[in-house]
Amino acid sequence: MYVYLYDSFLEQRKYISIIKAIENRLTDYGISGKILRLNNFTDAKPVIDDEIKRGATNIVIVGNDKTFGLVLSRGAGSNCVFGFLPIGTENNTVAPVLGIPVNEASVEVLAKRRKEKLDIGLVNSRFFVSQLHVMPAKVQVIYDRKFKVTAEDKMEVVVCNFQPFYWKKDKRDKETQVVHPQDGKLEAFLRPLTKSGWFGYKYEEPSIFPFEEMEIIGENAFLVETDGRQTKEINLKLKLAKSKIEMIVGKNRMF
Amino acid sequence: MIFQKSNKQVAEVEEIYIEQVERDTEDNIDTVVGPSVNVEGDFSSEGNIIVKGTVTGSVHTSRVLSVEPGARINANVRAGSALIAGEVRGNMKIKDSLELSATARVLGDVEVKVLSIAPGAIVFGKISMPGIEGVEVKSGRRSRKTEEAAGQQNEEYIG
Repeated sequence: MYVYLYDSFLEQRKYISIIKAIENRLTDYGISGKILRLNNFTDAKPVIDDEIKRGATNIVIVGNDKTFGLVLSRGAGSNCVFGFLPIGTENNTVAPVLGIPVNEASVEVLAKRRKEKLDIGLVNSRFFVSQLHVMPAKVQVIYDRKFKVTAEDKMEVVVCNFQPFYWKKDKRDKETQVVHPQDGKLEAFLRPLTKSGWFGYKYEEPSIFPFEEMEIIGENAFLVETDGRQTKEINLKLKLAKSKIEMIVGKNRMF
Repeated sequence: MIFQKSNKQVAEVEEIYIEQVERDTEDNIDTVVGPSVNVEGDFSSEGNIIVKGTVTGSVHTSRVLSVEPGARINANVRAGSALIAGEVRGNMKIKDSLELSATARVLGDVEVKVLSIAPGAIVFGKISMPGIEGVEVKSGRRSRKTEEAAGQQNEEYIG
């Protein structure tokens, strides 16, 4: 049985025709099911658990990167298969990584049911699926309990799981660089900042470390954005939880 | 004919196999140590390592280690092969080839199979290559024999 979790933004007029087309195709493939509408304050975990108790075997996320992060950060580890139907071209950077096209074309991928067990990140014993971003702060990073990475001043840390990270060398740089996520390891992207002028800071060339376990220790509390949610932390322990999600992916996935 | 695999099934199996091979070959993650970053401890990676900053402790990779100009390694190094353009203070054990460019400075013993040194590179240490070991042993035996023979001759003369 299929359960579809719709994000609240899909109620906007511009998405109505796309949703109708998707629902028609789902009916054609014989995989239509129960529709539940999420809002920003809905905790996905009890919703998913309830539906699994009622016999759901497939939970399909319908929305964008934010919806994907919101549902899977709470629902990962549940005993079901997850699917993803990305809607709209904005905020959909995870879908190409999973090899899923946007809008109604994604139904075909869902119908083919190419299942893959995927690894996800664990941050202080909570899941994160898209991206973790530590805003520039005085931190030191310990990798796999083996080696320590430090910088002279502040450092920005980005850990990619499913969501690629786009960055530029400086404001004038026209070419956007991409850090592509890989399966089997998490990838940490470190950018130290050095003082430039009286008040300004300048980004240095980045460092990239693939890892399975990492600890970020701050001199003071630092700002962290995990799957779009901001918190303040002083110590972060990141780990790779292997084969935690069973997900329907496309043939053109990037891992 | 009933028990034969259909062409569709065979095609699906082939497709999955090709995908697996493609994924295996693509699984080549580079580790980059940026120019203003210091790494301390046992630094090891399964993929290629590019060092632009400072590393202290030990470095280990089964693939290629590349030390860029201005980079500094204060550590013992073990790697599949290496391209050095910066400074290395420590012993190096390279499985395949080591390339020292003009800006390279190596202070330590080097054990390598294939070595290439550009003019201007500085090396201070013992270089050993596996091909030369056998000759050394043979020459040692010969010299011992010749010494013994010479000793006997001397004794004869004395007698």
